[in-house]
Amino acid sequence: MVNFAAMVREHWVNVLVPLGFVIGIYLDRWNDQKLTAFRNKSALYSRELKPGEEYTWK
Amino acid sequence: MLKILIPTIMLFPTIWLSPSKWVWTTTTLQSLIIALVSLSWINWSSETGWASSNLYMGTDPLSTPLLVLTCWLLPLMILASQNHIKAEPIARQRNYITLLASLQTFLIMAFGATEIIMFYIMFEATLIPTLIIITRWGNQAVRLSAGTYFLFYTLAGSLPLLVALLLLHQNTGSLSMLIIQYSQPMALSSWGDKIWWAGCLIAFLVKMPLYGVHLWLPKAHVEAPVAGSMVLATILLKLGGYGMMRMMLMLDPLSKDMVYPVIALALWGVLMTGSICLRQTDLKSLIAYSSVSHMGLVAGGILIQTPWGFTGALVLMIAHGLVSSALFCLANTTYERTHSRTMILARGMQIIFPLTAVWWFLSNLANLALPPLPNLMGELVIITALFNWSPWTLILTGAGTLITAAYSLYLFLMSQRGPLPQHIINLQPFHTREHLLMILHLLPVALLITKPEIMWGWWY
Repeated sequence: MVNFAAMVREHWVNVLVPLGFVIGIYLDRWNDQKLTAFRNKSALYSRELKPGEEYTWK
Repeated sequence: MLKILIPTIMLFPTIWLSPSKWVWTTTTLQSLIIALVSLSWINWSSETGWASSNLYMGTDPLSTPLLVLTCWLLPLMILASQNHIKAEPIARQRNYITLLASLQTFLIMAFGATEIIMFYIMFEATLIPTLIIITRWGNQAVRLSAGTYFLFYTLAGSLPLLVALLLLHQNTGSLSMLIIQYSQPMALSSWGDKIWWAGCLIAFLVKMPLYGVHLWLPKAHVEAPVAGSMVLATILLKLGGYGMMRMMLMLDPLSKDMVYPVIALALWGVLMTGSICLRQTDLKSLIAYSSVSHMGLVAGGILIQTPWGFTGALVLMIAHGLVSSALFCLANTTYERTHSRTMILARGMQIIFPLTAVWWFLSNLANLALPPLPNLMGELVIITALFNWSPWTLILTGAGTLITAAYSLYLFLMSQRGPLPQHIINLQPFHTREHLLMILHLLPVALLITKPEIMWGWWY
């Protein structure tokens, strides 16, 4: 237990960069969602998707 | 974009909060993880020409290889500087790594910017950490004058660029790279327009550097510590090439006639700086001049504005970035042992360090563009594009490649072959770290042979 506490105290900084990845990927995805809000919905390009087709553009 | 930028920013608390005995290990590991994740940019899936974009930043096929190179370089810089920084107090060590990480932050924002003004601001911002690295951690008193040269050459070149960009913004209403390529071509004919054309390119030509405005570069390279030389050769010079490729799209009707003197100077520079290399006595200075010579070819490739020219320029920039950085690292390993950059004082190193001689050999062959390597691909594509533009350029480019081979041989013979000088009695053996450093430089070069299309830029 003491060893574990010591390890946490010594190495907790290694969490920061992975935490940055998590935040960054979350923000990127949130932004992608915002940019693709009107995908397949415009009057000009809206159409029935083929079975298995996910998006018309990404 | 943010998936790399935010972890890079998180490196700062990591550097300052990690326990002192773990600083180097932690930062090397974390920056290497960032570099490996950045490889995901190469996996291109966009149909619009831009990917992973938010309001201010995005990647396109032109910036992606340079961004990945930027991320790859940080762990290498940290690995390379360990030996000579470790003697300093811990706060100063942290300070040093912070500067390197801040450079990566600025560079990611520069290459990722979709707005030319943001690119400009980040282009200028990279000056600050580099200047501090050169003038604080350089080895001799001359570093101060080297820093002054570096700063003022770049600033004097880039102030006209700011004015030119503001003018462009006034005319087109936007400086967004996403939009501006679709705007109406401007009718440019007056003398004022020609000055504007020059203003748009001078900053980048100084940064490249073009022969004639290159004097800051050998000084900065010679005086900078190893990480400073590495980042200068690998990324900062490429900022010039990248900026030029971005600006050339807008300068179109005027460039056709205006580029003649610049191309002539760039190709003349290939010959002249190559010849200067042949009579260098200083190891780092030789590598610096060889950078100027290669970048002259890149400038020529960009200025003729054909798809082949752009592709060759980008390929040569990436390949040269890795190889010249490897050469600077090797020069530093010699310098740390003999405490001299003079080549004649450290001859015959092959007898003592045979494996390092292999690294020297491979890096030299890559620098002179040996066949399967991407360096050859870049040079050949540029030379072909130039030849197509005017057959006479073959005299300059052909002589240039010949001189490149000659000074590479000279460099190898002077540093590795010959008799061992009497005063070399006792040299520190090589660290595994240094071999790892060389592998991490040369492995990407070797892998790029198998898949060069990831650095072909727009025309892949």
